Amino acid sequence: MTLLVGHFGSGKTEIALNGALDLAAAGVRITLADLDIVKPYFRSRSAREILSDAGVELLAPTGANVHADLPIIVPQIRSHLRDPSRRLIIDVGGDDIGARVLGSLSDVVPFDDTDCLLVLNFRRPSTPDPERALHMIREIEAVGRVPVSGLISNTHLMGETTPAVVLGGYRQAVETSRLAEVPLVAVTVTEEQIADLREEKFECPVIAMHRIVMPPFAQSHERRTTGPLFVVN
Amino acid sequence: MAKKLMKGSEAIGEAAVQAGCKLFFGYPITPQNEIPEYMSMRLPQIGGAFVQAESEVAASNMIYGAAGAGERVMTSSSSPGVSLMSEAISYLAGSELPVVIVNIVRAGPGLGGILPSQGDYFQATKASGHGDFRVLVLAPWSIQEAADLVQDAFDLADYYRNPVMILGDGLIGQMMEPVEFFEGRVPTKELEPKTWATTGCDGSRPTNVVNSLFLDPEELEQHNIHLKAKYDRMVADEVRFAGYGTDEDYDVLIVAYGTVARVCSTAMEELREEGIKVALIRPVSLYPFPYRAIREAAMKAGSVLVVELSTGQMIEDVQLALARSRPVHFHNRLGGMLVSPDEVVAKVKAMLGGQSEEVHHG
Repeated sequence: MTLLVGHFGSGKTEIALNGALDLAAAGVRITLADLDIVKPYFRSRSAREILSDAGVELLAPTGANVHADLPIIVPQIRSHLRDPSRRLIIDVGGDDIGARVLGSLSDVVPFDDTDCLLVLNFRRPSTPDPERALHMIREIEAVGRVPVSGLISNTHLMGETTPAVVLGGYRQAVETSRLAEVPLVAVTVTEEQIADLREEKFECPVIAMHRIVMPPFAQSHERRTTGPLFVVN
Repeated sequence: MAKKLMKGSEAIGEAAVQAGCKLFFGYPITPQNEIPEYMSMRLPQIGGAFVQAESEVAASNMIYGAAGAGERVMTSSSSPGVSLMSEAISYLAGSELPVVIVNIVRAGPGLGGILPSQGDYFQATKASGHGDFRVLVLAPWSIQEAADLVQDAFDLADYYRNPVMILGDGLIGQMMEPVEFFEGRVPTKELEPKTWATTGCDGSRPTNVVNSLFLDPEELEQHNIHLKAKYDRMVADEVRFAGYGTDEDYDVLIVAYGTVARVCSTAMEELREEGIKVALIRPVSLYPFPYRAIREAAMKAGSVLVVELSTGQMIEDVQLALARSRPVHFHNRLGGMLVSPDEVVAKVKAMLGGQSEEVHHG
């Protein structure tokens, strides 16, 4: 099981979606649980159709509750936490507020078999430096009652991301890893930039990401919808 | 300052702080809760104050008090909450108090839903309260522009001594984009000291009184005439719009504001790739509305397409601008559904192919 935690707007949902789709493409039986009780838009549940097309099971509020601004925790999550036959990715809401959901599930989370990955974007105002990132790690661990086992460097500026932005964030993530004594497990880059960064030496795997959830004006011809907001199909 | 990746709500909050806003009063409502949340974190850092009021009615009267004391102050809400503020907005306009009000519009009517809409255009531009007054309304289409317009809004509010509203659809509140704040920003207006404010006095000047009560009709008429003159100056000096492809030849002119204009911009690029000549004009100030610019741009086109997330509100101003000189067509989505670029492309093709009916009133 993989838990994705981190500060508000750090990129947990995008990483959860990318990870679920990649694993499903590799033949893994996968369930993605949307436990985001923080943000009202741009949640994993928005990508319901592409997930279902890819064979990923989605655990998220259904019907009109898809768009509710209520802290809904789907009850099936507890039984899925006990099902060893499926790989589970949990997209947790932002900050310590979002991590409270984990605290409520701590009696069923299989800690021995759980990666709790914290996503970091140093271009977000709430984590401008490693010190504040460390503070956030400790807050999330305290509230979620689960130790953070790895960091993901996800520093970017969306369409304005340059190699320097990725590298600057990566260096701050390395420093955070040292301060928190938690390994840096991945650095994300966009598919377009992977070539530009080929010469760089990273001490962790480099993961190519493609943007999935985005507002309608930024959607490409290939992935576009006239359906409810942000539901990409 | 290095570029940050910010949610619209955070950028609006930070922009207010950068503009010297030290006071914020508000009440939570989706999809703009991150604005008060950001202000509650940020204002104590700069010696300001954040108060979560017991309602939007209370919050809007708190900004009245703070503005009356000469401070830069902001509130934010979403559609139903702004309705609750309408009495105070009228009092603010009547008392000539500078405040910035942010409306991150959600779908209505009533409690509606939490997804984006442009259904509050009429309320913002024509009916934000009782009586005979105007609110200057600015509508950003990106997070950077939201940050810039919020800072301008404080200058404009002080200059005109009038409420200024930032009208953003839910996307503006919730989406994330890179934002930069520039050091040493120059105010958009030359501002005079607030000699009218109730700052306390020691007898060295006459007492300042801030209210909107005029029992003498002759006096109230003079006040109304004074306010009208102020709105006329806004109309003369504060019209803002942006044109895209309007310097070239085109057959269809699209008119849209806010994030809908970005959808139209994507559609415009795709249409142009197919050799279809389209231009886009985007009102940035909704009051004062860019009537002349739209009229002039429309004269170069055979027909005009208005795209909105409402049943048809801004279209009435476009029709007023055109005075039946060009056929006007309309495309919309409602209830929190968004217009897609494909829909706009299809609509423009239908117009050019004679399969779209123009909009008539009466």
